[in-house]
Amino acid sequence: MNERTQDRTVFIVDDDPSICEAISNLLESVGLRSEHFGSTEEFLRGRRASFGCLILDVRLPGMTGVEFQQELIRSGADIPIIFMTAHGDIPMVRKVMKAGAIEFLTKPFQKEELLSAIQHAFERSETHRVEEAACRLARTRFEKLSQREREVMEMMTAGLLTKQIAGNLNLSEITVKLHRRHVMEKMEAPSLADLVRMADRVKKISRS
Amino acid sequence: MLSAAMVAVDSAAMMTTPKAAGIQFRREKRDIVMSFDYQISLISADRTIIINLMQSGIADRISRSLMNYGVRPAAISGFFVLLAFLWTLFLQHTFAYPFLFLFFGAVTGSAWFGGTIAGFLAVVFSTLTIAYFFVPPYYSWSIDAAAETYFLAFIVSAMAVSWVSSSKKRTETAIREARDQLEQRVFERTEELRKSHADILESERRLRLLTEAIPQQIWSADTRGRVEYCNQHLLAYLGHPVEEMQQHGFLRVLHPEDLALFRHTWERAFAAGAKFEGEWRILGADGSYRWFLVRGMPQESLQGGIARWYGTNIEIEERRRAEQALIQAQSEVAHLSRTLGMGELAASIMHEISQPLTAVVTHSYACREWLRSEPANLEKAFSTAEKIVEESTRASSVVARVRALFQKEPPFKERLDFNEVIQGVVWLLRDEAIRRDVLIRTDLSRGLPSVDVDRVQMEQVLINLAMNGMDAMSRAPQPRELLIVSKNESSREILIQVEDRGAGLEPESVAKIFDPFFTTKPHGIGMGLAISRSIVETHDGRLWAAARPDGGASFRFTIPCGQEWGDLQG
Repeated sequence: MNERTQDRTVFIVDDDPSICEAISNLLESVGLRSEHFGSTEEFLRGRRASFGCLILDVRLPGMTGVEFQQELIRSGADIPIIFMTAHGDIPMVRKVMKAGAIEFLTKPFQKEELLSAIQHAFERSETHRVEEAACRLARTRFEKLSQREREVMEMMTAGLLTKQIAGNLNLSEITVKLHRRHVMEKMEAPSLADLVRMADRVKKISRS
Repeated sequence: MLSAAMVAVDSAAMMTTPKAAGIQFRREKRDIVMSFDYQISLISADRTIIINLMQSGIADRISRSLMNYGVRPAAISGFFVLLAFLWTLFLQHTFAYPFLFLFFGAVTGSAWFGGTIAGFLAVVFSTLTIAYFFVPPYYSWSIDAAAETYFLAFIVSAMAVSWVSSSKKRTETAIREARDQLEQRVFERTEELRKSHADILESERRLRLLTEAIPQQIWSADTRGRVEYCNQHLLAYLGHPVEEMQQHGFLRVLHPEDLALFRHTWERAFAAGAKFEGEWRILGADGSYRWFLVRGMPQESLQGGIARWYGTNIEIEERRRAEQALIQAQSEVAHLSRTLGMGELAASIMHEISQPLTAVVTHSYACREWLRSEPANLEKAFSTAEKIVEESTRASSVVARVRALFQKEPPFKERLDFNEVIQGVVWLLRDEAIRRDVLIRTDLSRGLPSVDVDRVQMEQVLINLAMNGMDAMSRAPQPRELLIVSKNESSREILIQVEDRGAGLEPESVAKIFDPFFTTKPHGIGMGLAISRSIVETHDGRLWAAARPDGGASFRFTIPCGQEWGDLQG
């Protein structure tokens, strides 16, 4: 495990305490931090860390693992999930994988299976975290733009030429060029391609 | 004599006063209320009435008889005879002798107005008068021999006239009375009819109120089955206006799966004119179907045919649910494996075992990691090893429990009619078959000898085979039919066949299907047939599979007959 996994926690939810204990023992032996819970409710109430991944048993008292996944997706919580079960069927696997689960482990599972799934989950959550930070940065910069500059930026990223933008906005080409430079400076974009990516992130944030 | 007659007429007129007074008296009594005061107040009101009132009772009756049969006829006949005498006296010289016809008139008039007695009296008075005044010798009671015959003829004629007149009068009076009575009766009958019509309307209104007050759904239909009337409960449940029901009947609101049975029952009942009942699902206004017990009853017309159908729909949703729940609870308590199915049971066992096994494997990995680390964490490795022992023990205890479950006790054998067992299973699987759109048919041998078997275990085998058959037909086209056959294979054993019209069996599968954990189903565990075979074998029977020539699989097992039967045959 690399350095970045140090601030990550593996959350284990299984109604059988011996499974929780065994998994957290294994994770501890390879240097991973974990918290374990007997039910999804306990998890929602009692989780201390905020980043990490979730190992979820399919059979659980109250809400099942699959239902809990749907619930999490609905509430917008983006936490990677690794499912485990003693007796899973193909439609169930297909359903949870489609909904974005990292892995589906059949009990009893190999150490490598578990650890590589966790690794995978952390990577995804890391990518997600980096992306989220980039989005937030793009948004902060975007908010510094004037209304006119925002319009110009939108047209630039839509692929319009300076001449077309000037025509659309009833401005002279020189003025548009000036706006373009301001946009690039304020957004701190090294190239138009970067600006396009930033525009996507800004849109993603304003959507969510 | 004239004044006497006038008095008689006057008293005859007075005779009616007690009656009139009686009427008045009743009216007065209603106004004044029962008390002795009424006499005093009446005296002040009308003195004559009080006199008549005092004549009431026996005295009144005697005086009335006297009046009716004495004074009044005498007065009337006296009056008429006097009139005839005066006119004859006056006219006798104008007409030829003997001039007596006026006396016939007197007799006729007396008899007409006064009745038979008056007529008779008139004859007597006339005879006396004629004998004295008009028969020679005149002014003497004696009669000439020459006039004797004539005089006698007069008496006889007068008697006859009197009789004819009075009887004619009687007839006429009787006719008039009859007419009056008839009129009165017609009037009364009309009143009665009017009242009974009002009563009918009222009772109809009450009946309607009653049908609305009963917390059940009530309807009526004509002889061709068209709905005529629905009460408010029914309309409220259906949420359709009554016109729509009249047009389409129940066919539109019934559950599509129940439609065929409903139509069949309905048509048969209408053809036979017999009452019917059935349990069907009806669509409510809220869009959900609920179970109803529908009962229909024919009402016979006066001509003997059927006039109309009346019916009630009683909601039995709760009962159906309770029934289902009861069946489920019974089965669960009695034999877990029946309701869960053997696949479910196996899945549950698998979960039970895999939990501790997972813990063991995971702890083992951890243990290795603790030992491998630099420096080795012996303390952790040791505690992990402890956990491994603990979890392994748990796993082996689960295995022991499962073994106990399968070998719990020797079969409890009782002598049974196997057809009954089959019918019980068909009933248990009824809902499951409906859900899967499978028709379960049975072909049971009538003379099946009884067998010594464990009922629960036999039910398990049958259910397992039937469920397998239904699974095999899950993707088959219609008709999806599961056939259960029982027959006398030989004198020593009976044969049971469970046949489906599914995809059939692969030749290579046939050899393996009874092996534990062999399955062709995506969610199967592969224990059902293995367990079924072991059950049949503990009953000294055999279980095997064969492919049907027309597709589908046939599972067959034999059960030896009861000992006594075998002895008898052997």
